[in-house]
Amino acid sequence: MSDTEKNPSQAQGGGVDPKLLEILVCPVTREPLTYDRDANELISKAAGLAYPIREGVPIMLPEEARELDA
Amino acid sequence: MNNDTVSFGFKEVPREKKQGLVRQVFDSSARRYDLMNDLMSLGVHRVWKDITVTKAAPRPGARLIDVAGGTGDIARAFLDRADALQERRGGEKAEAVVADINEAMLQSGLKRGGRDRLDWVTANAECLPFDDHSATAVTIGFGIRNVTNRDKALKDMHRVLKPGGRFVCLEFSHPTTRPLAKLYDAWSFNAIPVLGELIAKDRDSYQYLVESIRKFPRQSAFAKELEEAGFSRVSVTNLSGGIAAIHTGIKV
Repeated sequence: MSDTEKNPSQAQGGGVDPKLLEILVCPVTREPLTYDRDANELISKAAGLAYPIREGVPIMLPEEARELDA
Repeated sequence: MNNDTVSFGFKEVPREKKQGLVRQVFDSSARRYDLMNDLMSLGVHRVWKDITVTKAAPRPGARLIDVAGGTGDIARAFLDRADALQERRGGEKAEAVVADINEAMLQSGLKRGGRDRLDWVTANAECLPFDDHSATAVTIGFGIRNVTNRDKALKDMHRVLKPGGRFVCLEFSHPTTRPLAKLYDAWSFNAIPVLGELIAKDRDSYQYLVESIRKFPRQSAFAKELEEAGFSRVSVTNLSGGIAAIHTGIKV
């Protein structure tokens, strides 16, 4: 986790703080999430939802998430 | 009261409508939020927040989740205090997450400057996107009043705490003496909506805030709600004669 020093805040662009990802779960299923770097989304496989990250802020609301194709 | 409605200020609205209505209040006033708190607290909400932070036990290695954390002032103060201790004593740096349902509010917080170990997440207090046992402290400052299903939110804030973790809730409450209650009523029902109109051109939002404060349960009733949600050692601290109160509870 030494890279958090060089990567001071999620505010500076895309991505998600790895320390935050450790505790983030899907609000619907409470399963862990995987970070899709290309789409800049947090994927909940169990819920079939992709949560967007806008300006460095994960939007963890099911009503704002994209439904994944089955 | 019909089970399908819930209070929005003095009005009863369908349960599913409250979240959107509250969102409108804060979308229309995100940038003026501090001003609003200044008016309603007679300028002392910063002192109240300071006491709130102390009760959340900022220290090296701590992790705070600040629910309805808005622009992040509680989280920043928590990290400042924890970092000051960490410099003297050593240990791991503390971390904080600001969670709020209102994206506009978080963005205005971020504009005040990001910092190390401070994260921002858009989330609903009733179904928090955090793992069980994630935090040493959960705070909610002037937020619980706006939550639709308070029981669900209290249970979820309990869930994300580590055993031994502290829940600290700062909210407007009810003055404990008659003279103060009279004075405060006059101030809030006569002056605040008018000031809201003059300063923010937003009388309705200020009217909602004043009404929602009156509808919020009294200190002892809210303490009971904490116990029902699973908190132990629940205690109440009145601030400024009960204009606000801090409720705390421990997760065993």
